[in-house]
Amino acid sequence: MIGSDASALHRNKLFKSGWLGYAAAVALVVGTTAVGAAARVVLDVPDVEMLYVLVVLVSAVFLGRGPAIASAAVGVLAYDFFFVPPTYTLNVADPRYLFTFAMMFGIGLLVSSLADRAREAAVRAESEALRGTLLSSVSHDLRTPLAAITGAATTLRDQHVDESTRRELVEAICEEAERMERLVKNLLDMTRLASGAVSAQREWIPVDELVGAALSRTEGKLSRHRLRTEIPVSPVLVSVDPILVEQLLVNLLENAARHTPPGTEVLVRAEGGPGGLVLEVADRGPGVAPGEEEKVFERFHTGGRATGQGAGLGLAIARAIAEVHGGTLRLASRPGGGASFRLALPGAGASPPVPAEAEVEPGTPERRSSP
Amino acid sequence: MTDPRPVVLVVEDEPQMRRFLRASLGAEGYQVLEAWSVADGVRQVTAEHPDAVLLDLGLPDGDGIELVRRVREWSSVPVIVVSARGREEEKVAALDAGADDYLPKPFGTKELLARLRVALRHARAVAAPEGPLLDVGPLRMDLERHEASVEGRAVRLTPIEWRLLAYLARHAGKVLTHAQILREVWGPNASSQSHYVRVYMAELRKKLEADPSRPQLLLTEPGIGYRLADGA
Repeated sequence: MIGSDASALHRNKLFKSGWLGYAAAVALVVGTTAVGAAARVVLDVPDVEMLYVLVVLVSAVFLGRGPAIASAAVGVLAYDFFFVPPTYTLNVADPRYLFTFAMMFGIGLLVSSLADRAREAAVRAESEALRGTLLSSVSHDLRTPLAAITGAATTLRDQHVDESTRRELVEAICEEAERMERLVKNLLDMTRLASGAVSAQREWIPVDELVGAALSRTEGKLSRHRLRTEIPVSPVLVSVDPILVEQLLVNLLENAARHTPPGTEVLVRAEGGPGGLVLEVADRGPGVAPGEEEKVFERFHTGGRATGQGAGLGLAIARAIAEVHGGTLRLASRPGGGASFRLALPGAGASPPVPAEAEVEPGTPERRSSP
Repeated sequence: MTDPRPVVLVVEDEPQMRRFLRASLGAEGYQVLEAWSVADGVRQVTAEHPDAVLLDLGLPDGDGIELVRRVREWSSVPVIVVSARGREEEKVAALDAGADDYLPKPFGTKELLARLRVALRHARAVAAPEGPLLDVGPLRMDLERHEASVEGRAVRLTPIEWRLLAYLARHAGKVLTHAQILREVWGPNASSQSHYVRVYMAELRKKLEADPSRPQLLLTEPGIGYRLADGA
């Protein structure tokens, strides 16, 4: 289970074993009772029983064991109260019904444990498949730069080359080594985020510092783009993990640098406050094909092009970081062309106070006439 | 010592790294000493009095931070820590223990030499008496007259902003951790209030930087602290 899968699984689990699951189970029983009462004219008492068994089955498969047992218990009570003679009492006239009740509990337990096992197997198969993709992708992406480095280095060692060729080969070695470093770093980040070992170490930080740090780290890569920023001027504090969110931003900016033509505009817009942080990185590149908005966040997704630069991990990491903060990162097409990534991170209440200070010039012996 | 070349002690257990450092530092006119453990490193700092120490944090007989602590008991030799990316706590611990700077691994020769130059210059500056004027790139601070200017334009600062900027300027080019800045500017009781530093840095940027969201002077070292860009 990696990244978004892990959190999806977590949500699913919450639904299955949290109060929501139980509420759904009870609602199903109530609905069934209503249906049973309405159909009472055409159905015999044992037929209604089958309706409750169906409810237990549904709860077991979709809601998990706890809710399945709850639906069996509530179902038995409802069935007994409303349908089993004497009706509107919890008394049981025929011992045959005790057997029915036991059956319903048994079915609930058995089916829910079967469903659990099937789900686990599915998850395991998925993570096996993922590991396979990971291995083949990693070995390919590592081997390509390694081959280039080996080739260039052995040429330099074994052959006599002119000065311009030498420079070219040395440049190639440096570039390819950098590429390997990036890949290894991304793989480590992805693995750490995916294993759930990373939690957001929140600190109060001004939005402009977050964005500024990411911008200065990507300055070189974005030097041929027109960069525009819309960032609050007065310090607006947000509570996030500075290292992770800066990484997220760097990944978005590098993605823009890589996938949009030089000379086009890249816009970084930020808003912050007690409600949280909203950050947008928008470009005027080729945009995103309809239906592809979610695919770009998949690991090893490289837009169908030959990889060339990235291994398709940057955006997956960015999304995982958003999720570690309990936030969202989405991609949308932009009116007028281009793509826009929108990050929304929930806030942590009012920002802490900073002792105010008088705006005076510090104990100056002589004051400058112009400020 | 008659050899005028600056002496750099490389404390590193990986032979490939030592080979690379020996070659590139040697080519730049440094005399390179090598150590491969904490104990060996401490011994050589004591015996050889190098001008700077390049220290890898993961060593076979212990943590490089231990070496920083032991050396700092009696020596102010500049120590540059080399550590893998993504281990910010480790870097902060080394800096708080008294290391002067850090280099994320892998690093290029250019970056290494730049950091070394800054460290050596600082060591000399500390030895020389400090004048009232601090010039760092476009920034000038007159410590006697309490005046600051950027590219000749006078800047009004609050008392805390002044202390913060003066601290950064005295250590221009060197990374300062949040904890170090808090202790120096706000005193020992403010050590958990790292947002103070951030808010005041934002204010300083508004006053000093042409575009505060793309600082050229007051640089952020994510997860670690700040560095005042060192001219050049």
